[in-house]
Amino acid sequence: MGRYVVRRIIQAIPVILGATFLIYALVFLLPGDPITALAGEKRADPTVVAVLQERYHLNDPFFVQYWYYLSHLFTGDFGEDYRGNAVVDVMSAAFPYTINLALTALGIEMAVGVTAGVAAALKRGRFIDNVVMISTLMVISIPVFVIGFVLQLVLGVKLKTDYGFDFFPVSFNEEAGFRSYLMPAYVLASTSLAYVARLTRASLIEVMRADYVRTAVAKGLSPFRVVVRHGLRNALIPIVTFLGMDLGGLMGGAVITEGIFNIPGVGHQLFQSVYLRERTIVVGIVSALVLVYLFANLVVDLLYAVLDPRIRYE
Amino acid sequence: MRLTKTMRWTALAACTALAISACSTSGGKSATDQASGGSGKKGGSISVELGEPQHGLVPQNTAESEGSEVLNALFSGLVEYDNDTSVPKLRVAESIESPDATTWTIKLKDGYTFHNGEKVTAKSFVDAWNYGANQDNAQEALPFFDKILGSDELAPGKGKTPATKELKGLKVVDDKTFTVTLKAPFSQFKTMLGYNAFFPLPAAFFTDPKAFDDAPIGNGPFQIDGKWEHNKQIKVKRYENFPAAEGKAKLDSVTFKIYEKLETAYNDLRADTIQITDKLPVSAMATVASEFGDRYIYKPESGVGYIGFPIATNPAFANADVRKAISMAIDRESITKTIFSGTRKPADDFISPIIPGYRKGALGDVAKYDPAKAKALFTQAGGLPGNTMEIGYNADGGHKEWIEAVGNQLKANLGVEVTYKPFEKFGAILTALGDKQYSGAFRMAWSMDYPSAENYLRPIFSKIAIDNGSNYGGYVNEEFEALLAKADSAKTDEESLKLYQQADDVLIKDVPYIPIYTYMSSAAYTKTVKNVKVNAQGQMDLANVELA
Repeated sequence: MGRYVVRRIIQAIPVILGATFLIYALVFLLPGDPITALAGEKRADPTVVAVLQERYHLNDPFFVQYWYYLSHLFTGDFGEDYRGNAVVDVMSAAFPYTINLALTALGIEMAVGVTAGVAAALKRGRFIDNVVMISTLMVISIPVFVIGFVLQLVLGVKLKTDYGFDFFPVSFNEEAGFRSYLMPAYVLASTSLAYVARLTRASLIEVMRADYVRTAVAKGLSPFRVVVRHGLRNALIPIVTFLGMDLGGLMGGAVITEGIFNIPGVGHQLFQSVYLRERTIVVGIVSALVLVYLFANLVVDLLYAVLDPRIRYE
Repeated sequence: MRLTKTMRWTALAACTALAISACSTSGGKSATDQASGGSGKKGGSISVELGEPQHGLVPQNTAESEGSEVLNALFSGLVEYDNDTSVPKLRVAESIESPDATTWTIKLKDGYTFHNGEKVTAKSFVDAWNYGANQDNAQEALPFFDKILGSDELAPGKGKTPATKELKGLKVVDDKTFTVTLKAPFSQFKTMLGYNAFFPLPAAFFTDPKAFDDAPIGNGPFQIDGKWEHNKQIKVKRYENFPAAEGKAKLDSVTFKIYEKLETAYNDLRADTIQITDKLPVSAMATVASEFGDRYIYKPESGVGYIGFPIATNPAFANADVRKAISMAIDRESITKTIFSGTRKPADDFISPIIPGYRKGALGDVAKYDPAKAKALFTQAGGLPGNTMEIGYNADGGHKEWIEAVGNQLKANLGVEVTYKPFEKFGAILTALGDKQYSGAFRMAWSMDYPSAENYLRPIFSKIAIDNGSNYGGYVNEEFEALLAKADSAKTDEESLKLYQQADDVLIKDVPYIPIYTYMSSAAYTKTVKNVKVNAQGQMDLANVELA
């Protein structure tokens, strides 16, 4: 098991390197010059532009520029953006918010999604099953920004102005702490939550038909034990796979949610940086997200062994 | 009944959370606390809307609206502009005088200090301008110093190093006086001086310019509280040693809350989380007047939107009558009403309505919607080759709708085939025009740097602006140049204004760009605050805001 983990970590190195190269090349290929992008719609002074282009080696060929970047990277220097902010600072300012948001969202997905899925599977074809199926279908078909803005207006604005109930901040507010994450995390989780519920339902229905579940029931085990120990545990493998992959998506894909709720996180930063052609920041953030994906994948693989003892990694 | 139970739970959680956050925040009562305490109280704290500034908060490196909004709270310039008329008033300057519009003597008032206690002297200004004019420092506002004698030595151009670090034209006479010599007479120099590029810098800046980016030390009514928290907020508090005669800030502190989306900021305004916003989303325009009543401010702002033509490179647009015909075939009224829901007004002069020198209806027939006359003039002028026309726009700023509306009107009224070319950003249009990859008409806009009629003429239409400004069409007219030069050296404001208006008349005859609309600024504030004013640049006058 230890050797397996080490092997996986070594495998990750070329993946990361390849990813930085690919992203660097992609941002490089985007048309437009980062210095003029910073100036907005008025023309930047040509002398100033020339001085800055020289300072950031923007007139050098691609490989020269990439080499500058890589050689700095190996000495642990992530470089700075075209405004002179250190990339490390920019990233370490943004990531905590996104991690909090993604983990809260993942928690909501697991708690609400799995519970709803189990309830639907056990009462298959009944009222509660229909409620789960129809509501999840609705959530999947409504665009995220609609859910976001509607919740913001109803829970954030109306609840406060009309009922004096000031619990959900309209937008991110450091002083409100955890409360600030609840609404955005729910919005961010909504689509995945629906998938988790449906996946759990399908998987559990399948497992509940298996012989060992029938045996467990025949042995006279309590219904709770039958469902959780024998049913759910075996039904979890596809759900864990989905959740693992989803963590990366929740972190990198929160552009819209972070925008609506004004969370100064990674999605927000990534969007701005791509727009402004801030290569160093884009590469830094994307590489970090690749790391998150790889790590989540490793955890998922290790969890398989926990859920199903027959799976072993020597 | 389950609902009430959960409500109770969440309320309990809310109380705990509030208690915790109450412990963690120190000092300064929040806006809502104060509001419930009574009316007309001194002090208090508010939050206002802001977009993330593009550069560090150095006045010489800021040429965009968000950064300059913050700088205007942190710094005081030699002059400031009246909120209603945009006329420059002396601020830090005691007097600004010149016998010939070339040599200017500037005397400073007593009492102004930087937030670190340092006195604001003539040197504070001279050093700051020398820094801004030096190309090695790569400051965004560098072109604003090119009127001062010696600026070429400090910005010799690409690949060269400046031989000196001091502008020949700046001389410190004593602590309170300095002189400025310009390359040529420029009557509008005094008006220029309220722009943030001309703000002073303390000695502390030059020992560590980098630290200034996030925590500038200014001489304004507010001082920075902590540091700029990127993408989150910038906190400022009242500067207690600000000269009382010059008007101390009334509020204890202001937090600029940084937003990515105007819609979010507007929802925060409705919930009274922020108290003022000077930008409203288009989606709010339909309801804001009824929701905010007289707390909704709607007034003309400095921006102008044009359709531009690459006159120099595309002979198809060289005939002024063709441009005039296109202008007359555009129904400005319907575009501003239906597409912009009143956030723009039809343009009727090259000079903006907020500027002294604006003449209502100066464009005359050129801006009057008259399809029949337009068609006749168009045919008479020979039309366009192949009867086709292309309009380029940047797709990142919500321009698609109005550009297509213009296109449809041209199709219907002139019978030309109109195609559209979206560019990713405005900069991409400029690059394509410069490389001659694109030669069609294009969308263009201008907002002023300082409130002078000259600022709507020279930077957009003069010969010098082809390389160093926004004359992207390459329009050149010697008569126009001569009138500008004459106005620059005029002895009185009235005389120079008259000459600038004559230069404006040349443009109206030639129509190098077609002015389509001028921007309206829309701001709103909550019941918590009063005395909210917005100037022509659409910026809040924060020093005078009070809690209601």
